[in-house]
Amino acid sequence: MRIEGVWLRYGRRAPWVLREVDLALTDGGIAVLLGHNGAGKSTLLHAAVGTLLPARGRVVDRPTPIGWVPERFPADQPFTVSDYLTAMGRVRGLAAPAAERAATGWAERLHLIEYLRVRLSDLSKGTAQKVGLAQALVVPPRLLVLDEPTEGLDAVTLAELPVIVAEVTASGGSVLISDHSGKLVDLPGARHWIVAEGRVWAEHEATAEEGRWVIEVAVPASRAEATIAQLRAAGNDVLRVREEAP
Amino acid sequence: MSALVRMRLAGYVRTGRFLPPLISCLVVLTILYGGGNAQAGEAYGVSAIVLFPILAWQTKLLLDGEPDVQRRLARVAVGSAGREITAGLVAALIVAVPVVVIAVGLPWLEGGIRGPLYPDEPPLPSAVAAGVWAHLVVVPPALGLGAWASRAVTGTFGKGAAVLVSGAVFALVLGVRNSPLWWLAPPLLNSAHVAAHGFAALSIAGFSVHATAWSALVLGGYARVRRVRA
Repeated sequence: MRIEGVWLRYGRRAPWVLREVDLALTDGGIAVLLGHNGAGKSTLLHAAVGTLLPARGRVVDRPTPIGWVPERFPADQPFTVSDYLTAMGRVRGLAAPAAERAATGWAERLHLIEYLRVRLSDLSKGTAQKVGLAQALVVPPRLLVLDEPTEGLDAVTLAELPVIVAEVTASGGSVLISDHSGKLVDLPGARHWIVAEGRVWAEHEATAEEGRWVIEVAVPASRAEATIAQLRAAGNDVLRVREEAP
Repeated sequence: MSALVRMRLAGYVRTGRFLPPLISCLVVLTILYGGGNAQAGEAYGVSAIVLFPILAWQTKLLLDGEPDVQRRLARVAVGSAGREITAGLVAALIVAVPVVVIAVGLPWLEGGIRGPLYPDEPPLPSAVAAGVWAHLVVVPPALGLGAWASRAVTGTFGKGAAVLVSGAVFALVLGVRNSPLWWLAPPLLNSAHVAAHGFAALSIAGFSVHATAWSALVLGGYARVRRVRA
């Protein structure tokens, strides 16, 4: 999938959220978006899955089928978990028995079996998030897009996420992840895309020969935590934090 | 796409969103036919006009039935904007059918339809055929208005309600007989007038073309907007 000269905003008179985005995600590749809240990570994911059309530029060679896990699963629906997952399997083109098998299979794997007869609106946030993950996987995706997938997930499911990502990439699919928590930043083979100040760029991959520089930065104490988070989100190692000598 | 149509219909039924327009339809028809009977074409013409805002409202309720994020998930799952948009309109068309059937059938149960009493009144079969046509010709424009009033286009409940009400009023005001701007509105009043005078092939063909063209334009515009507003 290639994102070519893409400019994104919500509405004709709205300010630009992202400008001149040029990126490529290869088959079998993983990209993790890094950036602070409101930087435009979800906006870029919307463009990637096709729910937000670029005002300028284009997204080409988008693989299908796409599995998209939205940031907040829409649990306010009159379906049980089983009905919902089966219906989404059918919408994705599976025959009824195959959709039921896929729904049950993912329910087992994500520990949702006991919730199959529970209405979506009665689920906890974490369980609803698992349903959101399962609906994206009922048909093996060629592009898996995960928008903050770790929110509310229990440790067991959290541990399953890298395995699922690896399965998708092993079968030639691509994975695009926005992960504010940092829990998926170090997935094997993942490239980092930095989202900041309306721009997105692929993090330069340091080579062993290149070496690293240490930069000392002074910030007001009140902004220390936020700055550390931003530096880490941009793929830097924060080596030491100390109080400035008087 | 048919699976998405079924999913949306299931959601519409399970949430009970079908009840308000259905009850409104029954109340209006009971009031219309409760006071006595009328010549078939005339009675059906009036009920078709009344049905227009109810069908538009019903379309809006159906299209607004799923959360915004689920609508986008459906678009991603079904694989194209066109199929997702069409699935919503097909579901709206399907739920319009029982309403039209009730509107056509209920007056017979209430004794609200009578045959011709005077020589200038059309024979019963001709009047019934024209009356059924008057109901059918209302459905696509109602779908168009309801679609434009849906949350995916208008964004908020208030704006959606404003589009629905003002659209219905403009359709009636601009569509009065001899209006210079008749072409801007679907042929609601004109089709009711035709129905009242029996099955006239030429008029029916003309107003069918008008209703189809109007609906195609309005629904085409809706599809164009919805491609951008997932």
